[in-house]
Amino acid sequence: MSELIKQIAYCIERGKVNKMSPFPNDMKEQPGTDELTKQAIEEGIGPDVILEACNDGMQKVGDKFGRNEVFVPELLMAAKAMNAVMEHLKPFFAAGNLKVKGKFVLGTVAGDLHDIGKNLVSMVVEGNGWQVIDLGVDVKTEKFISAVKENPGCAVGLSALLTTTMANMEKTVSAIREECPSVKIIVGGAPVTMNSAKRMGADGYSPDPQGAVTFLNQSVSIG
Amino acid sequence: MTDQQWEALLMVIKGETVAPMPVGFVIDCPWLPNWYGIRILDYFSNDQLWLDANLKAINDFPEVIFLPGFWSEFGMCTEPSAFGARCTFPDNEFPHAHRVIKSADDIDDLPQPDPSKDGLLPFMLNRLKLAQPKIEAAGHKIRFAVARGPLNIASYLMGSTEFLTMMMMQPDKADNLMKKITTFLKDWLTLQRETFPSIDGIFLLDDIIGFMGEPEFRQFGLPYFKELYDENVTVKFLHNDAPCRVSAPILPEIGINLFNMGFDVSLSELKELTQNQITMLGNLPPRDVLAGADAAFVSGKTIEMIDALKDRTRIIASCGGGMPPDVSSENIKAFIKAVQG
Repeated sequence: MSELIKQIAYCIERGKVNKMSPFPNDMKEQPGTDELTKQAIEEGIGPDVILEACNDGMQKVGDKFGRNEVFVPELLMAAKAMNAVMEHLKPFFAAGNLKVKGKFVLGTVAGDLHDIGKNLVSMVVEGNGWQVIDLGVDVKTEKFISAVKENPGCAVGLSALLTTTMANMEKTVSAIREECPSVKIIVGGAPVTMNSAKRMGADGYSPDPQGAVTFLNQSVSIG
Repeated sequence: MTDQQWEALLMVIKGETVAPMPVGFVIDCPWLPNWYGIRILDYFSNDQLWLDANLKAINDFPEVIFLPGFWSEFGMCTEPSAFGARCTFPDNEFPHAHRVIKSADDIDDLPQPDPSKDGLLPFMLNRLKLAQPKIEAAGHKIRFAVARGPLNIASYLMGSTEFLTMMMMQPDKADNLMKKITTFLKDWLTLQRETFPSIDGIFLLDDIIGFMGEPEFRQFGLPYFKELYDENVTVKFLHNDAPCRVSAPILPEIGINLFNMGFDVSLSELKELTQNQITMLGNLPPRDVLAGADAAFVSGKTIEMIDALKDRTRIIASCGGGMPPDVSSENIKAFIKAVQG
């Protein structure tokens, strides 16, 4: 791995977006993923290698998150740093030089306006090479079903933060299962547990974004 | 809350042994309306139905300390409405508030609300004032000034992702927003205390605390919570049912003496994390057990929870978080019996 690629991965791990960004404190005035990715492309480093750096950086920060060494704000910044990389890689996806692993329909369930978990999952999954169809927050069951039908072969992720909206999550899982029996469904969010995920008929549960990536990579056929 | 219940609460908070162990629940719109058999919209829009639902709860479960007790609220819309947030009230779903801050640049222009006149707050206060004689005739008093916490309100006004990102990218702006919200909350809590002299507690609900690491909480949470709880009241009560291992050790520093937490941390661990300085209100899993299981299972899990306690002081048996929807009277009775015999 070249020094530049290592730097990109490190900037993602630390959440360093660009030179202007004051975060993290000990990297002020240093270039972030934005400048470094631009430089890497100019130096002819392959987009697949850059994408691999994204995976590496996100994996490391995801592991730290799992160990309670960093928290949601740091993870959001890492995802933001990764998004800066993805902006530079968009033309390569468009030209077919980079292929997405698959499609992932994602949203926060009806009645719930919380977006932290959903956004984190969206950014991390996208950084791992999946196309994310982000339906937003307060997503009605019908909207999930329409999105699944419009994106054959996709997987679905449902998020909820409120204990009170878990009932809506359960209804949505059942409805998707009935309309599209083969689709893989993963659920997550503060009130969700492995037990509740099983009870509502989901295929997977993850307490963190990295777990969603693992689920997708293992459970969904990559086309 | 009756005088007797209030005295029991104060004894527990002082670390005195109260037998049998008190049972308490945070009850509000997620549970009460449907348990009482009315639509959530009716609960919010009809003062009599709101009062009747609360009265039925205290009459059906006289052993239970309901917290904060006769809580007039409009769900998550209550405080954001004062800042001008559009509020959506579905027929039988929980209401929610829409964002009012599109970017950090909007913060300076955000008007400072007047809690006596703005949003839904006058309705909330007036409902309580109108009901006060009947509440007191039932032997209860209004004991708490209640509000969503400053981080929670910030995340409603701006969006959680945007707010948490702003903390890292534009810390000065985040501080400005927190100052503005804290000023509002102080005014709001003061107004409630002035309106009801029987109030001797402050109750804040804030689950955004749970998403922050210690440095962020110390910068963007601690000073504001300290300011809000730094009032001459006896009970300083916090609800945060998101993760709490980071913030729990800091709660005594804020002055909090009663805590309702998420179900994922045991009461014993929480006692250690808070140096046994804080009374815990919990910690049965709310959905999987209290709402989702049958009475026998609730009973078994409750006994397990109590038996696991090495030290039974500073505990009020409850579920993690507030009472979730669909908890039956049968399960509540099983819980009470398992705790109190």
